[in-house]
This record gives sequence, structure tokens and C-alpha cells, in this order.
Amino acid sequence: MAMIEMNQVSKWYGAFQVLKDCTTGVDKGEVVVVCGPSGSGKSTLIKCVNALEPFQQGSITVDGVSVGDPRTDLPRLRARVGMVFQHFELFPHMSVVDNLTLAQVKVLDRSREEAVQRALRYLERVGLKEHAPRYPGQLSGGQQQRVAIARALAMDPIAMLFDEPTSALDPEMINEVLDVMVELATEGMTMMVVTHEMGFAREVANRVIFMDRGEIVEDAPKDDFFGKPRSERAAQFLSKILRH
Amino acid sequence: MSYTWNWGIFWQGAADASGTWLHYLLGGLAWTLATTLVAWVLALASGSVVGVARTLPAGWATRFGNAYVELFRNVPLLVQMFLWFFVLPELVPQALGDAIKQMPPPWAAYVPATLCLGFYTSARIAEQVRAGIASLPRGQRMAGTAMGLTLAQTYRHVLLPQAYRIILPPLTSEFLNIIKNSAVALTIGLLELTARARAMQEFTFQVFEAFTAATVLYILVNAVVVAGMRQIERRVAVPGLIGGSGPRTGH
Repeated sequence: MAMIEMNQVSKWYGAFQVLKDCTTGVDKGEVVVVCGPSGSGKSTLIKCVNALEPFQQGSITVDGVSVGDPRTDLPRLRARVGMVFQHFELFPHMSVVDNLTLAQVKVLDRSREEAVQRALRYLERVGLKEHAPRYPGQLSGGQQQRVAIARALAMDPIAMLFDEPTSALDPEMINEVLDVMVELATEGMTMMVVTHEMGFAREVANRVIFMDRGEIVEDAPKDDFFGKPRSERAAQFLSKILRH
Repeated sequence: MSYTWNWGIFWQGAADASGTWLHYLLGGLAWTLATTLVAWVLALASGSVVGVARTLPAGWATRFGNAYVELFRNVPLLVQMFLWFFVLPELVPQALGDAIKQMPPPWAAYVPATLCLGFYTSARIAEQVRAGIASLPRGQRMAGTAMGLTLAQTYRHVLLPQAYRIILPPLTSEFLNIIKNSAVALTIGLLELTARARAMQEFTFQVFEAFTAATVLYILVNAVVVAGMRQIERRVAVPGLIGGSGPRTGH
């Protein structure tokens, strides 16, 4: 059953077309990795899923709800889709635990006590419970990104979007974040992940999407993608990033 | 120069027979503070609204905010004072204009002076609020939106708390400016501190004493404001961030 469905999605910045007829989907419990050279539109694509970026043509549905429909209650839809950003985007003026409770209280109307309880549970899951009273500026990049993942999970999302979650991290911090993501994937979370971490894709992805110049060039099961990429551009891209 | 110093002048009876000259000056200081504080509240409130409007996705809000700021910051304060006092009562419907002109003495000058200072300063605050919000990483707004906060909630809980922390130092300067700018109100007849220092000088010829007293009083008031704002800065400082703002760590 498709959790996220994209049909012929096109988007322009002025005259420049950033997305060209993108059609794909993510089934419930599926992990889809989106890769491609910089500027290929992969971040834009993932941001269209929760309407952080508007698109001009085509349709996207999340759990049957149309994202582009002006009658859709977007805040409610977004509250059900977790998102993790390249630069973490924790709120620096709030303690870690307040970062996790803000939307639970303001959007989901949970009581403060319940929100804190959940926050602590998810912080424990990412191994950072003792950091709850600290501020984001006092944590390392890897820790901040784990907090950001916990913040998204505390909303009980039906799917998670990751926009290059490890690109801004120092190398020694990448694995602590990937470990959390692998655990999530094996637990059956529906995930759409923009990343260049091909090790992660190999380990847990069901499908890999390769984008170039706003187009989905390849959309294949993981083994096919790594075994025999059908397009020349994907083969070239893979040979470049897997060389070392 | 033959000048007879007389620091005892402050304890002599003032020309308006209301008490000593010291009382007279302190009464002026009270009007300065009353003008300044009300104007400051007005400036902070309307400046924040306009500053936020200029960062909203809606184009008309941005255009309105820009026009507002350019109007109030591009006309000299003195001219604005005259516009509020002399011109506005002629522009509004006659009944209202007459009512304005018939306000009893201190209020006839106090009300336009306060409105003038408030709106003049609000344009400057609006510019600072806009700059403070614009200085935040674009991802902060996105993160708030992505977790289901409405636009208003994103401003209230995510953007504004950070923006105000960043602009606290320039806001302090603005607070000091509004106190000093209130002296312009003497041109429309408000007997605030500077006006009274001048009146005292005209009656007693003790020009140095009169303006020394005014200078000291202004400095004292401003020192209190600086100390108070520093307290606020210290109280809202965020652990792990230098100066309560600064870029993210992690690199």
C-alpha cells in the first residue's frame, strides 16, 4: 500500500524547471533512498512531499491525502510526516527536551507531562536522555542530529523524510546518526532518504531512486541499482562516489 | 567671562511658584519619562508588527511594511513633530480636529509628541525586527512548518524569540534614542526636561547650572536603561551560544 505517491510532479523556479514529471512512490514500511549529483532536485523533491516547497503540476498524496489540494489542512498533514534536515534545525533557544515537546503540545494538544514523558523515551532511544536539560549549542553535530530525529519521532509520524541527514557532519559522527536510521528502518518505519551514504542504501534500502537535472532517471530495487544500473548517468555517478 | 556661579539656585523658588527650581526640573523629567515610556511601548508594539509583516510570505504585507518604514524614517523628526501638531488636526474631520485643538495644555502637546516619537521609532524597530528575523537560517522556519506549527506559531515560538535576542543590543540604543529625541517635543510646547532647563536659564541666567542639571539627569536615566537592558540580555542568554545568537555549531 502506497504511503507516499507522486504522479508527474513538475516544479519551476521562474523559467527554470527543477522537477520534470517525477513519478514514484514509497510503500508503507519501505525505505527509499534518493541520490544524484548536487542540483539534481532531490532535496526539492523530498520537500514537496510535505509541501515545504510548492509544485505547479502533478499530484502528491500522503496516506491518501492530496498535498497540493488547497483544502488540505497542511499543518495537520505535516505533523504526521517527520522531517530531518541537513543542518539539524534544532531550535537553539530551547533546551533539548523543549525542542521535543513544543510541537507535541502546540500541534497535537498533548499535556506537558505526557509530552515530556514521550520526549524522554525517544531521547533514551537515541542515547541522549541525560542531555535533555542541555541546549543544542552544547551538543556535537552528531548528537544534535540524533535529537532532531527524536524530535520528529516524538510526533508519532506515519513516515519520515531525511534531507541529507549526514552531509553536514564530521566523518566520525556520521555512523552514530546512520545507526539510529538503520534501527528505524529495520523496525518498519516508512522512510524517504536523500543521501549519498551508499553503505546505508545497501544495508536497508528497498529501492534506490537516481535523479539528474530534475528527472528521475532510475527507480529500481536496491540490488538491481547496485548490480547493473540501467542508465549511463547512474553508472557514472556510482563509479564516482564508490571509487574510494 | 564674568559669570556668577550659583549652585544654590536649585533650592530657590521657581518662577511658576510651584516649588524650587529642582522641583521644576524634576517635573520636566517626569514629562520626559511619561512621553518616552508610552512612546516606547507604542514603538515596540507597532514596530514588531510591521517588522514581522515585512518577513511574511504575503507580498502585500511586505509592501505595506516597506512603505511604512520608508515614510517614518525618511522624514526629519522635527518635521514629523510639526505634522502631528499643526497639520494633522486640519486634515481630520472638523469636529475631531476641533476636539484635538481644544485639549487642555499639557495634553495638547503630550499626545502628538508621544504619537510622533512612537511612530518615528517604530519604523526603526521594524527595520531591526525584520533584519533579526532575516538573519536566522531559512531552515528554522522550515523546521517549525515541517512539524505542523502554523505560521503564527512558528513566529511566536521559533523565529521571534531568536530574533529579539539578536536585536537586543540595537534595541537598547533605540531606547536611549527615544529618550534623547523626546527633547524635540519642546518645539510644540511640551514642558519636558530640556524645555524646563531652557526656561530656568531664561529666568535666572544660570545657563551652566540649568543645562548641567539637565545633562546629568539624562545621563542618569540612560544609565538606568543600559543597566536594565543588560540585565535582560543576561537573563535571556542561551547556554552554548555566544551573545545569545551566533551560528550553529557542528562544523
